[in-house]
Amino acid sequence: MTFQPLKSMVLGTALLLSAQASVHAAGASTQLSEASQLPLAMSVAAPALLLSGGVMLTVVSVQATAEGVQWVVERTVDGVRTVVRFAAKGAGLASVAVGTVITTTAMASGTLLSVAGQAIAFVPREVGKALLHTERLSD
Amino acid sequence: MKNIVTSCLGHVALALALLGAPHAYAGRTCEEAPLTALAVQQGILLAEHTAAKLDATGAKVVVLARAGQDLSKYGLRYSHLGLAYKDGEAWYVVHKLNQCGTDHASVYRQGLGQFFLDTPFDYVAGVVVLAPEVQDRLLPLLKDGVAVTRLHTPAYSMLAYPWATQYQQSNQWAIETLALAMEPTIRNRDKAQAWLKFKGYEPSQLSIPALTRLGARMTRANVSFDDHPNHLRYSGKIQTVTVDSVFAWLQAAELGSAPVAVR
Repeated sequence: MTFQPLKSMVLGTALLLSAQASVHAAGASTQLSEASQLPLAMSVAAPALLLSGGVMLTVVSVQATAEGVQWVVERTVDGVRTVVRFAAKGAGLASVAVGTVITTTAMASGTLLSVAGQAIAFVPREVGKALLHTERLSD
Repeated sequence: MKNIVTSCLGHVALALALLGAPHAYAGRTCEEAPLTALAVQQGILLAEHTAAKLDATGAKVVVLARAGQDLSKYGLRYSHLGLAYKDGEAWYVVHKLNQCGTDHASVYRQGLGQFFLDTPFDYVAGVVVLAPEVQDRLLPLLKDGVAVTRLHTPAYSMLAYPWATQYQQSNQWAIETLALAMEPTIRNRDKAQAWLKFKGYEPSQLSIPALTRLGARMTRANVSFDDHPNHLRYSGKIQTVTVDSVFAWLQAAELGSAPVAVR
């Protein structure tokens, strides 16, 4: 009894799979960005609160709206609250529930909101709104 | 013409690791996993730096590239390019994106942040400032969301042959659209490609063995070779439009500046 055919088949499959890896590496990186799903805050009731970096916010309510979702968040250090609204319903937003702790990171163009190291949304300043613009022009 | 050799055997270990992974002919599905905060920070930071650099050039239209994958072993620095323009105070990039590994692609207008949020291999932007006449001709086309897609072919192959019209990859769409802007009599992709040839554009040439081509064709919907001439295909010579070949051509044809890297 010989396992040669099986070995050949495995090697052949391996080569084919390696081939697709080679060709993919040689091709252009043109995948539609998954980050296009990073939601932008539509409105923030107290922008100064969210536009600061290094702030810990606790989500105190999550409410579905006609456009997407609305959170009330509370600054952990002093209990100051604000409302954030999103038009989107991205996977990152869906993971946020009452009690979730959000970290803010300030950048020149806005503030990044993250949970446990995962980006969930971006609160743009005026200058940052165009940075995350996305518009499909063709079929 | 640049010659790039790919090695099949060098990837056997990777292939064995992939044996346990499901592979669908239709290609990769869109990943649902959220980006890390660090990746978004790096992408937005590069977008901010690039916007400042583009503002400083005084240009209205540039060719903008990213390094989505490490292609250094093929002698290539960048993987994907788009046509960027300034509208008011903001920069936008018009570029073509493959959808989730399928055989279909669409043209998008995006901000610089979106352009760099794709977890690239290296957070670096390649910029070629186009000659003033090229900028003047491209700007109205890029602002017109309908006209700019006139030479777009939805059928996508990441290694599309530069002198055929069956498929169209992203960098190919960009230079054909540049040709459309420069020569108003162009009405189709054949004419655009004729203009590119006339202006001396030369694609990169990759050496891809038969087994490699077969494997790619069997496992990826976004790779095809049937648009390549038989005499090139069967000798493993695959020509396609790369960023680096476009950058070299733009400079040689005096259509643009030397490329500048931004970090």
